[in-house]
Amino acid sequence: MVFSRRVMQYIWVIVLALIINFALPRIAPGDPAIYLVGEDITSMTEAERDQVLHEYKLDLPVYKQFANYITGIFRGDMGISLIYGRPVWDVVLHRLPWTLLIMLCSLFLSASIGVIIGVITSLKGGGKQDIGALVIVMLLGSLPPFWVAMLLIVLFSATLGWLPSFGAFALGTTPGSSDYFIGVLQRMIMPVLALTLAHVGSSYLISRSAMINALSEDYVMLCYSKGVSEMGIVIKHAFRNALLPIYTHLMLALGAIVSGATVIETVFSYPGIGNTIYESVVARDYSLLQGCFLIVTISIVLANLVTDLVYPLLDPRVRRPGGVE
Amino acid sequence: MSNRPMKMKLISFLIPDNSKDRLRNIGILIVAVFILAAILAPVIAPYDPDTKTGEPFEPPGNRHLLGCNDVGYDLLSEMLYGARLSLLIGLLAAVISTAVATIVALLAGYLRGWVDTLLMRVVDIVMALPFLPLAIVIGVYMGGGITSLIIVISLVMWAHSARELRSQVLSIRESGHVEAARAMGSSSVSVMVRHILPEISTIIVPQFVRIAQHAILVESSLSFLGLGDPIHKSWGGILFFANTRAAFLTGAWSYWVLPPGICIALVVLGLTFIGFSLGGGTGLTYYPFGSFVLRKRVEPSQ
Repeated sequence: MVFSRRVMQYIWVIVLALIINFALPRIAPGDPAIYLVGEDITSMTEAERDQVLHEYKLDLPVYKQFANYITGIFRGDMGISLIYGRPVWDVVLHRLPWTLLIMLCSLFLSASIGVIIGVITSLKGGGKQDIGALVIVMLLGSLPPFWVAMLLIVLFSATLGWLPSFGAFALGTTPGSSDYFIGVLQRMIMPVLALTLAHVGSSYLISRSAMINALSEDYVMLCYSKGVSEMGIVIKHAFRNALLPIYTHLMLALGAIVSGATVIETVFSYPGIGNTIYESVVARDYSLLQGCFLIVTISIVLANLVTDLVYPLLDPRVRRPGGVE
Repeated sequence: MSNRPMKMKLISFLIPDNSKDRLRNIGILIVAVFILAAILAPVIAPYDPDTKTGEPFEPPGNRHLLGCNDVGYDLLSEMLYGARLSLLIGLLAAVISTAVATIVALLAGYLRGWVDTLLMRVVDIVMALPFLPLAIVIGVYMGGGITSLIIVISLVMWAHSARELRSQVLSIRESGHVEAARAMGSSSVSVMVRHILPEISTIIVPQFVRIAQHAILVESSLSFLGLGDPIHKSWGGILFFANTRAAFLTGAWSYWVLPPGICIALVVLGLTFIGFSLGGGTGLTYYPFGSFVLRKRVEPSQ
């Protein structure tokens, strides 16, 4: 029941994204034809313009245009990218793996660092160091991620000369060779670092408060009175229960990491979805921009879906009928 | 109390016994300094930020305290005028989205029924959309400029607060004086405005601070991506130009890239301190940049 309601909600999210994509060029200030066909249309005669609009099926009533748009999406047809001259779907699919690479790496790093520090500080519970750690986390959260990325380039590329600041792989190397692999590794260090710095704070906070909640439960008291060792209580009992909120938070943080990646990739000219969004903004490549937005939305919805599917495996209480909501 | 010397008052303001109050006061101080600088920008800026007053890439010196950018505009003046835009856009967007969030929360939480179901579905859906890409897509079609930035940021930021405020409205709705007002025949609107709104105002303020803090970061991100006003540069806009001119690969980074970022970070940190001290500070209520998707998930029944 609950699950099917969630799936419905996800379907609505994608439908809303499609509606936004369809409606924006048509209701935005300015001539919709410029957004949908290209700048060329402004220099055409009336007859040529009608001809082009007819070819693009833009002279049909709006509901028919919408039907065409939706069936096109399902056939993988999101238009042709202006800057690349290739189908949008093609460009986007080539870019997605790079974004996934740096996102998953930084998700893993920020999660493990945040959880370890969070668990350790929760054991001390609210002392002077706690406020200190909190201020550091707040400071990390206040730094604009793209600015951190620029400073990383200043440090590691311009000053120390250790890391290349541009792209995702060394030009001229063939995929599969060891040079290629090293080039990819070198180039992902800084984007991953910048993203990790931006998100380690939130996973720390979540881990810390989840642990503090778990440690104040009755079963922890029972363990103490049974004489379970402190390490045993923390790892076997408290942490296992704290894992659930931490897990859901991390999966949902994916949406936030996408936002961070959008600006960070721009600084490093990293060929992922984020940088593609930037390129399409600069070149006013509207179909490419819409394609990126759609693929990001779908990815986040899929991540949410996976979270929901895995959750019952982690939490036996959810599996019980009537145990939820 | 009033006889105490000015200096003592200042010290006790800065160093209260409670560390949470200390954070709040530091936050207020930081934000106040920046607001003052923004208001006084035309008075204290040494030059007009949009005229060539020095050499391109001039390093900091006596004439130009923060040096000049690639076309010889004074960077300190740009920073001061940039403060106006960054703060104006951030705070105005926060005012609008807080207002929208409050109205939605009142309607959903007080009227309940299908209004509640519908509005909360919308909130769920808006929160599930990736908000920076969404803001970029809307921003591109709306065209650059201050008004469109404010609208775009407000459009993507209200949902999270609406959810938090609604849960408060739900609990206040059941309290005695609201029941009494209803029994005496007050209309829904009057109950909402005269009885519920004053009670949730204590939670609206920290929500506003939190939205403002994110709005300033989002504004800087959007301007950094070139969606800001190309003529009136905010701090993010200054960084956009520094990035496109690759200032961070030359020595110019220390006076062109560093100051705007520090200003953004300080203002956001100041607001974070204020929001933290107002919001009870359990740690759970704090969301860093972009974590707007975070929401309460499947929770086992009690």
